[in-house]
Parts: sequence; C-alpha cells; structure tokens
Amino acid sequence: MKFSVMLIGVGGEGVLTAGALVAQAAHEQGHFVRGVQLHGLAQRGGSIPTFVRFGSENEISSPGIMEGDADLVLAFEPLEAVRATHYASKKKTAFVIDDNAYMPVYANLLDLPYPPMKEIAKRVKPFAKELMVFNTAKLAEKEFGAAVLGNTMLVGAAVGAGLLPLKKESVHKAIKALAPRMVEENIKAFEAGVKLGKRGR
Amino acid sequence: MLGNEAITRGALEAGVAVVAAYPGTPSSEVPITFSRIAKKAGVYFEYSTNEKVAFETAAGAAWCGVRSMTALKHFGLNVAADSVSPVAYTGVKAGFVVMVSDDPNGWSSAQSEQDTRYCAKMFKMPMIEPCSPQEALEYTKKAFDLSEKYGIPVFMRTTTKTSHSIGTVKVGKIKKPKRKGFFKKSHETYYNIRPALQKMHIKVDAKLKKIQEKEAGKFTKAFKGKGSIGVIVSGVSYDYFKEAMQMLKISPPVLKLGMVNPFPEKQVKQFIKGKKQVLVLEELEAFIEEEVERMAKTANPKLVIHGKDMLPNYGEYNLEVIMPALAKVFKKKAPNFKAHDKMVEKALKGLPPRKPVFCPGCPHRSTFYAVKQVYGNKAVFAGDVGCYVLGIFEPYSMQDFMISMGASMGLSHGITKVSDQEVIAFIGDSTFFHASMPGLANLAYNDGKAPLVVILDNSYTAMTGHQPHPGTGVTGMGDVAEAIKIEDICKAMGAEVRVASSFSQKQLVAALKDLKKKKGLRVLISKGECRLVTRRKVRRGGGELPVFEIDQEKCKKCGICTDHFACPAIFELREKKGEKPKYWINPEICWGCSVCAQICPYGAIKPVKKKVSE
Repeated sequence: MKFSVMLIGVGGEGVLTAGALVAQAAHEQGHFVRGVQLHGLAQRGGSIPTFVRFGSENEISSPGIMEGDADLVLAFEPLEAVRATHYASKKKTAFVIDDNAYMPVYANLLDLPYPPMKEIAKRVKPFAKELMVFNTAKLAEKEFGAAVLGNTMLVGAAVGAGLLPLKKESVHKAIKALAPRMVEENIKAFEAGVKLGKRGR
Repeated sequence: MLGNEAITRGALEAGVAVVAAYPGTPSSEVPITFSRIAKKAGVYFEYSTNEKVAFETAAGAAWCGVRSMTALKHFGLNVAADSVSPVAYTGVKAGFVVMVSDDPNGWSSAQSEQDTRYCAKMFKMPMIEPCSPQEALEYTKKAFDLSEKYGIPVFMRTTTKTSHSIGTVKVGKIKKPKRKGFFKKSHETYYNIRPALQKMHIKVDAKLKKIQEKEAGKFTKAFKGKGSIGVIVSGVSYDYFKEAMQMLKISPPVLKLGMVNPFPEKQVKQFIKGKKQVLVLEELEAFIEEEVERMAKTANPKLVIHGKDMLPNYGEYNLEVIMPALAKVFKKKAPNFKAHDKMVEKALKGLPPRKPVFCPGCPHRSTFYAVKQVYGNKAVFAGDVGCYVLGIFEPYSMQDFMISMGASMGLSHGITKVSDQEVIAFIGDSTFFHASMPGLANLAYNDGKAPLVVILDNSYTAMTGHQPHPGTGVTGMGDVAEAIKIEDICKAMGAEVRVASSFSQKQLVAALKDLKKKKGLRVLISKGECRLVTRRKVRRGGGELPVFEIDQEKCKKCGICTDHFACPAIFELREKKGEKPKYWINPEICWGCSVCAQICPYGAIKPVKKKVSE
C-alpha cells in the first residue's frame, strides 16, 4: 500500500505542523513514512507545499510526490489548492479545502483579483476525483479562539470523510506524541473535524 | 525524523562531544537540534560567528582527541575553506565530521548551485553521501569511525532533499561523550610549512589510497538485475530511482555509491565490465559520470555512458525528472507530463502569485521604506544575505545584487571608487559579525567614504530560525553572555554612527537625512527586534500587541499602504475589477508594528488593543 498526501497553505500558518501530524499518525499506525518539508525563503508568507507519503517500505522511497500522483490534497487556503493541481489528477486525487482565503500581496501589486471559491472549484475540478470544501479556520476561531486549530480540524474532516486512511486513535496518539501546546484543544478540533467530514458525505 | 535530525542522532550515537556551527539552510536543523539538547546530552555546542571559526573550533577539539563536528551549507564551506585543506593535511586525533549540504534549486536563498563534491577532491578529504534519513544516521556514525581510524576529517554530504525529507528511522543507543582532551605538541603533525609540507601531502594521499582500497567498497552496494544496461546512482536520487523502477517495471543491475571521494574505482570497474550501457543518476554536476568515463577507458572502452546528456545539471531531481530518462534508456513508456503541464498552466492562468514577502511587522520593510523616502530609486542598493534579500521583490526592488555574506561592503567600495553614483550597502546584524567587519575596516582605512552603510539589526540570525549571535546576549546553549554592541565596533573603526528605531519612520528619516549631509564613513544602525520573536514573547507572556484599523471616513484610497509599503496584512478589497477599492487590515495577521499608521498621509490608520491570538 502507498498513500501520498500533499498539504499546502501559506507560510507561517501551521502547514508544517499539520504535515508533521499526518506523518506521526501514519507512523503510530505502523506505516513506513517518507515526506518533505520545505524551509528557508518560502516560509515568509510564501506558498508552502509539504508532502507526506506512507505505506509499505517496499513501495515507498521517494520523499516527494510525482506529478499527478497525489491521493489527497489538503489545502489550508483556497488559492493554494489551485497550485496543488500539478500533483493532482482526475483519476485518483481527492481535494479537501479550507475556504479561508489569505490574499497575497501580489493581488494588490499586480492587480490580479483573488477569485471567489466558485471559480477556484472550477479550476480544481479537472484534477479532482472528489472535492470537499470546509470552513475549518473560521469554525476553530469561533469555537476555540484559535484559527490555527482549523488545520487539525481539516485533517479530521479528511479522516471523517474517509479520504485519509488514518485511524482516529493514531491521530490522537500523534497529537500527544508531538505535544504541541494545547493537546486537548487539538484533539477536540480533530474530533469536530471528523464529524464535519462525516456530515459532508 | 528529518534527515538533519537523523544526522544529529547519528552523531550522538557516535559519542560526539563538541559541535560548532553557523546556521545555514539546508543544514541548519543540525545545529538547531544540538542547541536544544546539548546540555542534556553533555555535548558542548556553540553558534560560532562564521563557518571558518566553527570549523576551527571543532578541529581544535578533534586535535585533542575529542570527537567533534561542524555542519554547514555549501557556501559555508567556502567561508571555512581556508582552514579545511590544511587540517586535512595535519589530520585529527579523534573523529571529526564536516557535514555539508548542497542546495540544488536554491530553496534557501542560495546564490549558486555549487556542487561540493569537487571540494572533497580539492581538499583531499573522504566524502560520503547518504540517501534517506535512515542512511543519514548510519553514515554519520560510520563517518566518525572512518575519520578516527585514518586520522582524517570526513565530509558527510547531503543535498536538500536528504536533509529536509522525513522518513521512518530506526535508532540505536546514544554513546556518552568524552569531553576532555589534551593537545600533544608535534612539529611533524602540525607544522604546515615546507619542507614538512610535501611529506604531509604524501601522507594524506596515502591515507586516501588506503581508504579507497579498504573502505570505499563498504559504502558501495551492488544489486544484481536483468539486462546489459546498468544504473549507477548516489544520494537522494537512489530513493527516486527505487520507486521509478517499480513504476516502469524494470529491474536492471544497480550500483549505489555511498562514498564519492576517494572514488570506488574497483567496484565501478567491476560493475561496468560487460555492460553495454550505463545511466548515471546524480544531482548537479557530472561528477560520478566523469569518473565512470575515466574507468571505462580501461575497463570497458565501448561502454555507452548516459547521464547529463539526458538529465539536467541544474535544479533538483525527482520522479518527473528521472522517469523520462529511464524510459528512454530502457525503452519504456513514461507518463505524459506535457499534457498534464498544459492543463496546470491553464488552471493557474491569471491567478496572483504568492512570492515570499517581508512578514507583517517586519522591521526591514520599514527601514527600506525610509531609505527610499530619502534616497529615491536611483541609488545603487548593494544587497547581502539575510531576510533583507526579500527587498529584491516589488515594490521595493532594493537589492540590486547579492553575492555572498558580507559582500555588500567590498562591492559597494569598488563601485564608489569608479562611479559617482550614490551607493547604499545593506547588511544584517548576524552577517555583520559573520563577515562584514573586515569589509567595514577596509572602508574606514582605504578612504571608503562614499557608500552609506545601513545595518539592519533585528537581534537574531532570523532567516534560519532566530539563532543567537554575539550581539544577541545569549549563547547557543542558552546561557547569558555579554552582548557586543555593533555601534561600539563601528565607532571604534572611526565611523559616524546613528542609531534609529526600525519602527520609527521619523527617527529613520531624520538619521538618514543627517548622514546624507555628512562626509566620512557613515553607518546607520536600524534597530528593531524581529517581529516574529516579539510576537512569540508577547504570546507566551499573555500580553497584548495593538492591532491597527483603517478609518474608512478618513481613508482617501491613495494606495500608499498597499502599493508602496506592501504589508501583507493590508488588503485592497474589490468585488469587481475596475471598482473603487476598500482598504482593510486583517486583524489576524496585523502584528502591531504601527509603521503603516506613520506613513498614512491622512492619519486614517489607528490602533486598537487586542490580545494576540494563537
């Protein structure tokens, strides 16, 4: 078995942490894990792609995902979901998107309007076997007073919708193992996400 | 575990006792991890002022029989280079590993795609190269043993994706470090001057020869396969290749190299014997390919060697890059990436890009803005290496070039010696201590009055993750140290110095105007803590930072805050193209620096108190 997840969002918004959570959960579940984190320049408000791949050691060795070969795209920002299309294809890729837009400075500077969610979906659809849109960052802000927990919630939504083959217990263990601040809140956010994902089905 | 964390773990399992480094991506997580655990692990760790000092610190310990290590990026090795070659000659008394990361694709604001493997040849040091994090851990341990056994420093080389990829890693036992050593004097060993020098040269060559005979094979793995076409591969390319083999359903004979210097001649000769073709997979230059060509002259003159004839010597390898070459050599069908690429291009058409920008509240943005107010666009802006390279992008475009750490000093000096243009040399605080003091002394001594030096002091080596430097007041192990004042150093060199707060346009502009009128060596120190750190401190302390709001009545929609100041927290909202915009500050990402309020000509931006949200 091999499963490839691409996580994408804006630098500084916790994409790396979400990637670490998925990787740790896969590890807790007994999978062999490979993946990539990008550091350096891209971190400063730039677009941040992170790859996590898990499954059997015989099948996985490349840390990165091949063009069109992602099983799941977790986009924490809608515009970034479009940028993930390079790694996606109609045949196999599911998109789970948080519609919390983060307008790039270049929308102002180059006078390129930020497209509405409808248009984003239109652009993504030729690459998506399935497409689900949530508003986890806003929900997390409302419920926990912390938008960044929306990331954990979105991971939960993907699990709840059956689009990310991780067990709930594995994710709980991973949250505890990574011990970020707010362990309990993360678990609650994850569970809320699972419910959202199930309902979205 | 991250590749770099695996290297750290490997070093601990080898009993490393002294680690010194200057942070440089993609190697920076090695020192970052040591900085966190050094005290607990009984390891001495320091952030040295630059890579040369770091290398020397570790080498000094190794001379005394204590296992040591430094970690640096490819350019870092260039900084250390002066001392590397002589230490390879003297040799070491305990394991000394020099971890060096190359950065194909330049993820880390690298100024060239330098291939460090050639340095191993030049400096006469063994170089080993792992693929995965698991191998990175194992190779690091082996590197220490190899170094100690032959008394020679060893390079442990990675490329970005070995350092920055994660993987499942099986760990071993940590060895208690031996911290005490003794320097035993020996003219024979340490006097790198003729006539002993030639003897030392002969000695180091003999060590390498022995390593080639006895050790290179231990880092080489030969896998049997079908057909007369072989693949020779090293580093992270091996991890891509393994998966490509499955996808293309091929199983050729494979030779995986783990040591690239000294070159495993015997193993390669044996592998290419009887083969019709080989494909060499290696990122960057044709280092291995050239060696294989050399081997083939005697071992198999008819051999057809593929490599850089079908693969690039720039950028990184990945599955998309190597699949077409493999498909061609093995006569298989590769996935059609071109059709997919076209679809992606269409999907992205007309969307705003998201290039890296100064963070909200960044002190550098404010400094650049003030310099532009006083000097305009026409001055030559000598750039340097640090977060301020982001000044290269619009709307600032205030880094006309960036060559290497500290280079803005010398380059601006050279320009002003032949041109009457106004020149501003930008430099950061960590870069100041790293490589700029000789440049500043040169400006002071050799009549370098023309350029204005602007020091952007945010108190940390911010770009690589806020490591401390001698101006910070904390060491790499977290101990308090007396901070050295940049201001005092500049004054001691005879410069006219002004210090201004990065967050006060009034102070910055006044200081700049004042210095513009003065003659002699002039330095502006723009002091403002990296906002990421301020925000973290406030958040942990449960305090508050103000958040700014735009008064829609007072806002005249001039666009200065978005188009000229370009803070990523300020937005121009328009429902439709061509419509008059509404300006808005996103409270989630406003970090309260207040500079937008200072530059607004209509006083339309005002603070409101708000708790920093998670």
